[in-house]
Parts: sequence; C-alpha cells; structure tokens
Amino acid sequence: MFPTPTITHWLTLSALLFSIGLYGIFTRRNAVGVLLSIEMTLNSAILNILIFNRFVASDDVDGQVLVLFIVAAAAAEAVVALAIFVSFYRHRHTLDVTQANHICDQGNSAS
Amino acid sequence: MYDGTVATLFFYFFAVASIALALGVVLGRRLLRSAVCLIGVLGSSAGLTLVLGFEFIAGIQVLVFIGGIVVLLLFAIMMTSEGHTFEQRPSAARRVMGGVVATAFFVVTLSVYVHTDFPPATAEDLAVSHEDVHAIGRKLLSNERDGYIVPFEVISLLLLAALIGGIVIARKHDPEDT
Repeated sequence: MFPTPTITHWLTLSALLFSIGLYGIFTRRNAVGVLLSIEMTLNSAILNILIFNRFVASDDVDGQVLVLFIVAAAAAEAVVALAIFVSFYRHRHTLDVTQANHICDQGNSAS
Repeated sequence: MYDGTVATLFFYFFAVASIALALGVVLGRRLLRSAVCLIGVLGSSAGLTLVLGFEFIAGIQVLVFIGGIVVLLLFAIMMTSEGHTFEQRPSAARRVMGGVVATAFFVVTLSVYVHTDFPPATAEDLAVSHEDVHAIGRKLLSNERDGYIVPFEVISLLLLAALIGGIVIARKHDPEDT
C-alpha cells in the first residue's frame, strides 16, 4: 500500500519537522514557547544525523557518538535557558520576547 | 529491526504522529498543552530511532529529552505563568514571515534531497542490527586519531558550567549585593 521508506522519505520527514519548529521559533511570543520549538528542531537534527549514519555510513558509530554530544548540549542549553527565564520573569513579570530589550536592569524599577 | 513491512508501518505511524503533534506544539495557544504535545513528538522521534535500529540512542532520547528537558520546561511554564498560560495570537506579519521562512527552508532542502544520488542501501546492509554499545563506548573514550575523548571532556566541562551558571543566574539577588 505504502512505498517502503527510502532515505529520501526519512530525510523529508526530518526536514518537515525542522520547518515546523522554525515556524514556531518565528511566531511564538512566549520565551518558553520558543524554547519548545528549539527543542523540536534539535530533535529533527538528531534524527537527520541518525538517518545518515544508518543509510550512508552504516559501518561506523560516529553518528551515534555525535548524537550523544548533541543530547548533552541540548540539556545544558535547556538548563541555562530556564535560569534566564526565571531571572527575567522575576524582573519584568512577563516572558514576552518582544519585551526583552535590556540586558541589565537599568531603567527598570521592578528590581 | 529493519525487516520490511512492520518497519514500514511503524515508520508511517510515527511519521504521521510526530508531524501532527509538532503542528500541535507550534500552533496551540496553551503552553502547557504544547509541552505535552512536545512529549509526544519526542516519543515518536525515539520510536523512529528504534525503527532505524539504534536502541541505545532511543533510550537516551527518552531519558534525557522526555525525562529531563520536557520536565524542566514544564517547571519553567508553571513557574512563570501565574495562571494565564494563554498566549495571544501572533500578528499576521509574524505568521507570514514564519511561514515564508519555514516553507523556503523545506522547499530548498527537499530539492537538494531529490536531486542527490544517495548510495542505494542494500537489503543485507539494512538487515543487520546496528546496536553496538561496546563500539560506541570505545569510540567515545579512545584517544586514537578517530576517538572522541577530547570532545567528551569538553562536554563534561560544558555541563558543569551550565550547572553552576544556572544556579548563579536563577538565584535571588540581594538588592544591596551588586
């Protein structure tokens, strides 16, 4: 009924997920929403690397090692982003990214 | 696990599920619901990894992404919402811009994929299991020329820096403590 998925099918799926995440990064106003979309694009990049490891270089494990590194980097990024969001929310009482135009709290009486 | 019909069925099932849930993540206006949809996206992605034959990586994805990152994001949403988790609809200009960028990326990438001759994977090449945790561990910790010991150490330093930085940024500052 369906064609057997080839590498092009897999890569198309990964690119589609990445595009959806890209749309989310552009349209979200809440910073946590942006981070959700970023996690989705990271996930599709991981999928892409695994697809190439499977179909093109199936003798090596380099792709899987690279995926482990990306997972660790994603975890570190989520931790720092959460800390920044909490600090930002404490100062400005919002998480709207269109309001985030100061890097220090000068000109801001809420601190 | 790459054995014909079952793998094909699983591929289409996980593909449809992950795309539908990804649209739910992006288009929904409730952040909490988007985060729950993200759990589904990451879970189907781990399923796709299983279909590809990487059991160890799929386990890591479930552990770190769903167990760690999404729970952290749920914390972030709940700590910063004060009850109004509704997000107002983005402006039309933003939506048009996002749609144009995403569509352009997809079209360009797809045209590259269609016009590339990938080496055809033979059936017996795809039939073997690629689960080789021993090889991953040796590769990760070997100091030969093709080893990854230096990036491994760097990533451990990065995790330590992220840990300390997260604590320092998120803690409450005293007003007189500059």
